[in-house]
Amino acid sequence: MNKFIKKIAQINFGLMSPEDIRKMSVVKIETPDTYDEDGYPIENGLMDPHLGVIDPSLKCRSCGFRGGECQGHFGSINLARPVIHVGFGDVIHKILRSTCNECGRILLDDVAIEEYRDKINDLLNQGENLNDLIKEIYNISKKDVCPHCEAEQEDIKIDKPISIIQGDYKLTSSEVREKLEKITDDDAFVLGVNPEVARPEWLILTVLPVPPVTVRPSITLDTGERSEDDLTHKLVDILRINQRLIENMEAGAPQLIVEDLWELLQYHVTTYFDNEASGVPPARHRSGRPLKTLAQRLKGKEGRFRSNLSGKRVNFSARTVISPDPNISINEVGVPEMIAKEVTVPSYVTDWNIDEMKKYIENGPDIHPGANYVIRLDGRKIRVYDETKEAILEKLEPGYIVERHLNNGDMVLFNRQPSLHRMSMMAHEVKVLPYKTFRLNLCVCPPYNADFDGDEMNMHVFQTDESRAEAKSLMRVQEHILSPRFGGPIIGAIHDHISGAYLLTREESTFTEEQALQIIRKSHLPIPKRKNEDWTGKELFSLLLPDDFNINYKAEICRKCDVCLKEDCENDAYVVIKDGQLLYGAMDEKAYGSFSGKILDAIMKEYGPTRTKEFLDRSTDLAICGIMKTGITTSTNDEEIPDEAQERINAHLVMAEEKVDKLVVAYEEGELEALPGRSLEETLEMKIMQVLGEARDKSGEIAESYFGMDNHSVVMALTGARASMLNLTQITACVGQQSVRGGRIHRGYIDRTLPHFRKSELGAKAKGFVHSSYKGGLDPIEFFFHAMGGREGLVDTAIRTAQSGYMQRRLVNALQDLQVKESGLVTDNNGLVIQTMFGEDGVDPAKSDYGKAADLDKIIDEMRIK
Amino acid sequence: MKNNTWGLVDTFFDKYDLVDHHIKSYNDFVNNRIQDIIDITENISLENGKYSLKTGKIFIEKPFTKEADGSKSMIFPTEARLRNLNYSAHMYLEMALNEEGEDNPLEKVYIGELPLMLKSDICHLKGLNEEELIEQGEDPKDLGGYFIVNGSERAVVTMEEIAPNKIILERIGEVVDRRAKAVVTSIKSGFRARISLEYKKPRKSGVFLRISFPYVPGEIPLVILLRALGFTTDEEIITSISDDFNYQMIIADDIQVSEPALKLDPKEMDGLSKDERNEYLQQAAIKYIGNRVAKGMTEEYRIKRAEDVVNNYLLPHIGITDEKRENKAIYLAKMTEMLLQVIHEEREPHDKDHYTNKRLRVSGDLMEDLFRVAFTSLTRDMTYQLERSISRGKELSIRQAVRSDVLTENIKHAIATGNWVGGRAGVSQLLDRTSFMGTLSHLRRVVSPLTRSQPHFEARDLHPTQYGKICPNETPEGPNCGLVKNLALMCNISEGSDSEEIKEIIKNMNVLEE
Repeated sequence: MNKFIKKIAQINFGLMSPEDIRKMSVVKIETPDTYDEDGYPIENGLMDPHLGVIDPSLKCRSCGFRGGECQGHFGSINLARPVIHVGFGDVIHKILRSTCNECGRILLDDVAIEEYRDKINDLLNQGENLNDLIKEIYNISKKDVCPHCEAEQEDIKIDKPISIIQGDYKLTSSEVREKLEKITDDDAFVLGVNPEVARPEWLILTVLPVPPVTVRPSITLDTGERSEDDLTHKLVDILRINQRLIENMEAGAPQLIVEDLWELLQYHVTTYFDNEASGVPPARHRSGRPLKTLAQRLKGKEGRFRSNLSGKRVNFSARTVISPDPNISINEVGVPEMIAKEVTVPSYVTDWNIDEMKKYIENGPDIHPGANYVIRLDGRKIRVYDETKEAILEKLEPGYIVERHLNNGDMVLFNRQPSLHRMSMMAHEVKVLPYKTFRLNLCVCPPYNADFDGDEMNMHVFQTDESRAEAKSLMRVQEHILSPRFGGPIIGAIHDHISGAYLLTREESTFTEEQALQIIRKSHLPIPKRKNEDWTGKELFSLLLPDDFNINYKAEICRKCDVCLKEDCENDAYVVIKDGQLLYGAMDEKAYGSFSGKILDAIMKEYGPTRTKEFLDRSTDLAICGIMKTGITTSTNDEEIPDEAQERINAHLVMAEEKVDKLVVAYEEGELEALPGRSLEETLEMKIMQVLGEARDKSGEIAESYFGMDNHSVVMALTGARASMLNLTQITACVGQQSVRGGRIHRGYIDRTLPHFRKSELGAKAKGFVHSSYKGGLDPIEFFFHAMGGREGLVDTAIRTAQSGYMQRRLVNALQDLQVKESGLVTDNNGLVIQTMFGEDGVDPAKSDYGKAADLDKIIDEMRIK
Repeated sequence: MKNNTWGLVDTFFDKYDLVDHHIKSYNDFVNNRIQDIIDITENISLENGKYSLKTGKIFIEKPFTKEADGSKSMIFPTEARLRNLNYSAHMYLEMALNEEGEDNPLEKVYIGELPLMLKSDICHLKGLNEEELIEQGEDPKDLGGYFIVNGSERAVVTMEEIAPNKIILERIGEVVDRRAKAVVTSIKSGFRARISLEYKKPRKSGVFLRISFPYVPGEIPLVILLRALGFTTDEEIITSISDDFNYQMIIADDIQVSEPALKLDPKEMDGLSKDERNEYLQQAAIKYIGNRVAKGMTEEYRIKRAEDVVNNYLLPHIGITDEKRENKAIYLAKMTEMLLQVIHEEREPHDKDHYTNKRLRVSGDLMEDLFRVAFTSLTRDMTYQLERSISRGKELSIRQAVRSDVLTENIKHAIATGNWVGGRAGVSQLLDRTSFMGTLSHLRRVVSPLTRSQPHFEARDLHPTQYGKICPNETPEGPNCGLVKNLALMCNISEGSDSEEIKEIIKNMNVLEE
């Protein structure tokens, strides 16, 4: 193919005039047949060789190129009588309704026409949308008497999709065309039809363009039979009827017959464009399958737009199951050797790397750091085989391109669907590993929203140095630690990483020097000098921190006491880091968890991404060592409480129930007072919900008071590693009120939920309160109510994902063309200003402090320390 | 379980197994309902009654297969599975072709194959003990309850539907909208007629109460229908609906508003006596319906057609004869009163998800639908074959006229693809054999016909009336959540019985006062 580079300066949409179609046409199609007995295309038939060729061995008669190079040429059919184009039924109706039946002038007086023309010109000059104005013009230009010729106007109706009816008379297509012809250019302009590119009468077809054969290739079946494309079938139908219509008209057949044939021609042309038009029976194949005509090719999910243009498939990509690997950096991704040998990187051979490249070629396609293809200076691509190796090696010289295997340190794009935000696609460094899964560091799970229950992810390999460089500086994982969603870290510790850090850094954890050095060594940290005394966990953790790092904050484990004891906190929840030394407080989710890690946030903002990456990688190692020294385990024993506690809980629940009964009695006796804006029933429901909610919380508190930090379930819940105290409450003390759509459970039998209760009973149990704990076990009724509440959750997750996906799609469609200029101006692709200042405050949320432009408290604190 | 009630559970499972509902239902279908369908089907008559075809009893043989060499042999399920055959029984029907006046003896004619449910009454495996089952290559623990078509095991899943022949009151929008609908799905031998009565404020002028039923395009005013059904006077219409003055006013308004639609001719009405006048009004109402159902036809045809439509397509479960029209009118009047009570907040609309308003159609019921349609197409084909023989002047022979493939293929195709009559897809599914429990669960599956693409939050909820009937836990996650259910472990579905039979029994029990 010749390498012309053509730049599109402008696209103009309009209608094709009959002249345009004829000019474009290379051949007039007249014969409804395709091939003769010998299998050669018939001249002036639908497969005329002028229309282009598919077979690479044939030459196109129009352009002389061979099949594959010739993109095809249009032909045309002269229609014996004009027909309406289905897509324009509505437009034609609207135009006719707004113009005079007699003189074809627009049904507006001259003053109004002038006024609207000016308005349209104004909008055009400003580059704004005309739709609303045009709509208004069509609405207003309806009159009973024409203001120009004073003819009375008959109502014009449309019978979908293409019958235009004036009064009681159905207009023929010719009559419609005549009416449209009468419209002056000036009037057409006011009606929103630019006469320079589209005359109204061009809405009616007199010449039908015939698409080139490349658009409708015929396929040869294994049996040697030829099977034509649906479009060809449809065109054959059109030609046949057209031919018959011409013959009948020439023979002077009765009007009735001609009209019947005309109607048939209209039907075929209609279904040729759209075979799913409402009110038109779809044209079918012999087997009964509806034909797939022009509109069907483009429309819908499987159509050209959504399936082939927006949904292109790519090469140099891989997909497999993901699994965790805490031993690789957050910037890395573990790629199975099998994949590394399949997807390749094109490398230019230079004087400096020629030896390396030769080694790759020597290894060939089957040994890992090898190569699959070599591209010679003339652009020919040669596969590397054992047999061809020698020859290639001999000729290899600078300028060749070697498609070498993916290797350690290469940049790749890594992605998990649904790609909802920019962190769903990040650039990772390759680390080729054995086995067959992609490995990723656990800290990057939150941005991808990935887990390892069978999730799969995609990898794309960059093919140019520009893309590689761009990705490395913009898309690398470490550049995305701070999320533009809330201005805090989205990449950070999760689960055992957090509980590990807590177990390591809490007050009582100390290590002998021997142990400490082991941990340091395993964590790839620089080995410090011996100090000949025991190490605390806090000292170990301090090794991760920059030397001049200072921060104070309240940790996740903070119990929110009324008066904060600060450094003397008995829970070790007040964190003080001074000059890179962790003095007080234990590490937990608030320290470096994803979404809320304060230390992480501070390091990122003060020391930059590379230091933060280092911190995360080393802390992963350290936390794992920490957790391995202590060990972490959980079982139902963790939720064991003494009998005395159980009794207290029961007593409390009985009390709550009495409270509910009292409320019910008060309600029944009319003593309950309605809250403002609520009915009596609503008030009662609210109060009961409140009482029962408190009851559960209180029973949880009772249970909690028996738990200590030696309990691993509690450690996990309080440090924010996983689960919450509510989960523990439900397991040990009381599951609590079950709800369906925000309220207690109401539906069921008449006046009651289940036949186990009296009619109109309003008590706690009858409406879905579960006294039991998960550990103690639910009784059948409680179990059933619990299943009801659980079902709602299941349905919600199933429906919400679909709905939010659609909402996201619409939002993205609306916002995709907006751009932020350097000045902070936000414009759309027409240059129209959307916002004068990005976000109206000019703050980049990714660089902000949890959404705010600056955290004043922090700045003041810093100044104080200095 | 304080007093060890597990014994009860054990006893229960000694008597019933987990697929009883399928097997009982299928047995009922084979033993009674096939014969009923054949008896109900109109006899074929040709050349204006010159020839007629009489049918008698149906005989269903135990399954066997015909080999290519013509030999017959018993076929067991395992063989059918391995050789990709059908496990099906051959059906024979007694038939006799009579020329006018003749009364030829009945002869047994082979009419087609019926796919067989494993472990049903006519299955070879019925009543075999463990060793015998193993000898036949069967899993002794397998419960049956599915079919084998083309070697693949297919389960017919139970379908949930809104209770037929029952008035379901529904409020549309909020209470203040004052809009409600009463719907009855009336079923008479497989034909479903949806009758819907709606109370809606008319847009400009018109009646409040409108009714729609099959074969009548659009909606017609209720009062006109009631008049056509035989409530001749205004008074009769009003009082039969309600004693409440408020409701009577609504009806009276409707009567007044709908009168112009009847196109009464004052000239003809002059001088009529009261009875004649009422008669005239009723005729006008019938004509009104006739104009709707057969527009542009002759007047006689219009009247006849209107009467036909009212008899056959309005509430067919009450009856399809002229005499039942009054019963239908009374039924509609009652329905109207209930609807008006909903509008005036004196009655709660029905909870559509309440399990009392649901019915489950088990394999037997679904096979009945299938067989009815297949048998009708067989008779149609026979008529065609016989007519062709007559026109060619050949001697008529029943055996030649019966093309057994028509019936066989119709039924087989439906079970093999899951495309049931009435356009429902996925009725029969490939039996899940991933695990034994998976199989059991599949055979106890209940599917709701609601589309999964719409939210239908309420229908997906676990409803307290499902307690003990539907498993609260087992439902798929994802788009089918709450729409696909499973029977509770100790839930058993009884076969339906004929209401006439029950009435008879009650009468014989002498508990009714005469």
